Amino acid sequence: MKTFLLTLGTVAALALMPMQPAMAQSNDTLVVGVDVDAGTLDPRLARDTTAYRANDLIYSGLVHLTPNLEAVPDLAESWESPDPTTFIFKLRDGLTFSDGSPLTADDVVFTYETMTDPDFNSPIRSLYSPITKIEKMDDRTVKFSLSEPYAPLLSYLDIGIVPKKLVEGGRDIAAEPVGAGPMKFAEWKRGSEIVLEANPGFWGGEPTMKKVTLKLIPDNSARAQAFEAGDLNVIQSPLSPQDINRLAADDRFGNVIIPGLAVTYLNFNAGDPLLADPKMRQAFAMLVDQETIVNDIYQGADAIANAAILPSSWAYSADIKQPAFDVEGAKAKFAELGWTDSNGDGILDKDGAPLTVTIATHSEDPNRIQAVEYIQAIFTQAGIDAKTQLSDWPSFSTGYVLKGEHQIALLGWVNIVDPDRLLFSQLTTGGGRNWGGYSNPQVDELLQTGRSSLDTADRIAAYQAAATTIAEEVPYYIISYQGYQMFYDKDLPVKVEATPRGNLRGLIGLKSD
Amino acid sequence: MTAYIARRLLLLIPTALGIVVLTFGLLLLIPGDPAAVLLGENSTPESIARLRQSLGLDDPWYIRLWDYFRALLTGDMGTSIFQGQPVTEIVFGRLGATFELAIVSLILSVIIGMTLGVLAAMKQGSLIDSAAMLFAQLGISMPIYWLGLLLMLAFAVILGWLPAIGRGEPLPEAIAAALSGRPQVLMDSLSHLVLPALALAANTAAIISRLVRTSMLEVLREDFVRTAYAKGLRRPRVVIRHALRNALLPVISVIGLRFGALLGGAVLVESIFAWPGLGQLTITAISQRDLPLIQGIILTFAIIYALVNLVVDLLYAAVDPRVRLG
Repeated sequence: MKTFLLTLGTVAALALMPMQPAMAQSNDTLVVGVDVDAGTLDPRLARDTTAYRANDLIYSGLVHLTPNLEAVPDLAESWESPDPTTFIFKLRDGLTFSDGSPLTADDVVFTYETMTDPDFNSPIRSLYSPITKIEKMDDRTVKFSLSEPYAPLLSYLDIGIVPKKLVEGGRDIAAEPVGAGPMKFAEWKRGSEIVLEANPGFWGGEPTMKKVTLKLIPDNSARAQAFEAGDLNVIQSPLSPQDINRLAADDRFGNVIIPGLAVTYLNFNAGDPLLADPKMRQAFAMLVDQETIVNDIYQGADAIANAAILPSSWAYSADIKQPAFDVEGAKAKFAELGWTDSNGDGILDKDGAPLTVTIATHSEDPNRIQAVEYIQAIFTQAGIDAKTQLSDWPSFSTGYVLKGEHQIALLGWVNIVDPDRLLFSQLTTGGGRNWGGYSNPQVDELLQTGRSSLDTADRIAAYQAAATTIAEEVPYYIISYQGYQMFYDKDLPVKVEATPRGNLRGLIGLKSD
Repeated sequence: MTAYIARRLLLLIPTALGIVVLTFGLLLLIPGDPAAVLLGENSTPESIARLRQSLGLDDPWYIRLWDYFRALLTGDMGTSIFQGQPVTEIVFGRLGATFELAIVSLILSVIIGMTLGVLAAMKQGSLIDSAAMLFAQLGISMPIYWLGLLLMLAFAVILGWLPAIGRGEPLPEAIAAALSGRPQVLMDSLSHLVLPALALAANTAAIISRLVRTSMLEVLREDFVRTAYAKGLRRPRVVIRHALRNALLPVISVIGLRFGALLGGAVLVESIFAWPGLGQLTITAISQRDLPLIQGIILTFAIIYALVNLVVDLLYAAVDPRVRLG
């Protein structure tokens, strides 16, 4: 027994002994925590934030988007638009991929031709649908022809250029990518980490950071703890509001807390008989207490929204107002529409039928669930028989909202680099993502003007007019503008520059051009 | 014995077929379309339809099932919709990590559980007994997920003794490195392994400690134990040689059952500690509706579970001579 206990004691002591953990990173290594593993590192097919972030470092596009979402030269040193449906890009001289092979107009044409080919199944193909032709004019010049003027195009041309010869030669760039970005691919341990190394051949010079590791930690709180324990140098959204407040108060860490490029909103199904009348949608919207949702549930990590345009956008206006929270006003509006509690059971009714509505969201995000339950509580107080429906993301999105089976659904849009990206296919008649079937010819025309006019003043006027109508007719009720948070180790040897997209070029010490 | 093993192994085939049909049916029933998930926010109904067709998702279910069976016979579990790699390759690439975690957890839980159980039984009603049973109560009732975060907070964030996340070199490689004079590699692997293995072990350790305590209490009252004392044997020898061996039987059978729970618990522990195993992969695969991958993982889990139970039955026969297999 004694020896047994002794052995056990030794094992326990060994297990608990402070071992020198392998976390001491050298100074030019950046370890970033990410929440999902990349699916593919082919930029044409990428569909998750980790792939976007890795690809932004591995590849370069024709343009690069600054933190203010302005398109600046990347591989293209300049461009011109001789007429509204033509763009001509001039590539920099002497560009090479990280394997040393030259990058020419052929690679650009190949990248965009494959991406716009329906059989290639690129998830972002629809962003390029107005492109009719991509031509090589000479080794350093590429011409894009459009079917109609398309103002947002430049913001979408930051997609990484892939090496034609290698890809056609059978290299699987989804698993072993080769690009012309500031870092090059070194290793991908699936389900664990992606390792990148500095690319000395990058046109903008070799970055200060020699190694970037994207480490996968799916759980938000575990990721925050790993950062506090020193295993990670950088973490960023998505984070729990509780962790954000704790980390922000810790002076060992630097932080960037800025508005992101995403919204959380209620999708009202205009095709549902109950919600077909804009006045009904307005009455429901008046029962949404944005302030409590944003300040208490999201603990101020997000901001209260007033319109379907991001505050960081050039098109934003603070003067547009969505229906304000007003329970009595909502009740009066329901009464006006014939919904009263005629039988005294506490639930509004009309023609003998009770006012029943279902609010749905997906089960992965506890804050969204809480928001939906809170909205349900207020609906109930106002005399509505409100139900909630929760299911996991694939069931909720493709099995429910995308089929237009919802009444009111809480969800979000991300990556809104241009107002077009939040509005056009979502709210024009017959738009690909208009799941609620909203239709207003006037809004259609405004959103068409917004995407095809090349005059910024015209675009601003069009988007503001459209957003005003949308705020009145409430096919969408924007609850909040999602915040973007990044926390970093203050000892990083670079000047940190964050972008609301969460890309990492501002963390690797690029020489400014 | 050989015939027994052969029969049990043959039984695996109908079991595997049953599992394939069952998961296939379940996956047909749950809503959510992998093509739509794959194409993401910018998808259109046409692009989804096109992709569904190219993935073969539009074929009738019996054709898909038949195709799956046929491929399975050649060891091909299909191709992951999201990663574009063979499922067999992905699953086997991850299996080692999960196995390592599960086995180390099992060993830990047996050591902890048996020690506590034996101590509690020997000192029944004492402070040690109460403390051990309090631990058991906590271990059984505490959610793995929460315990994992708590351990990480204590040992990685506050004390800073252990790394919070990740995995070192695989254990066999690390041991080889230690033998060739690089012990720090093994230390690194172990330091990564401690917290997730403890989090995963707590529940099973608690169950084992209660089982051992109960069966020890019973055994200690048996005649042969009294005889052993009467022969003048000293207490530790009686407890370890005579009582413990008999008290082990329920523990062995519970290990087989608990191994399934360990694999299930690994799903949670792996995503907290960023342990690159099958568990983490399972969550991702389900949330993406990566049907071939989900199918492959469940099948692998089921076969492992069946094999472990076979080993447990063989062990049982080895420990208890009264048990005859056949």
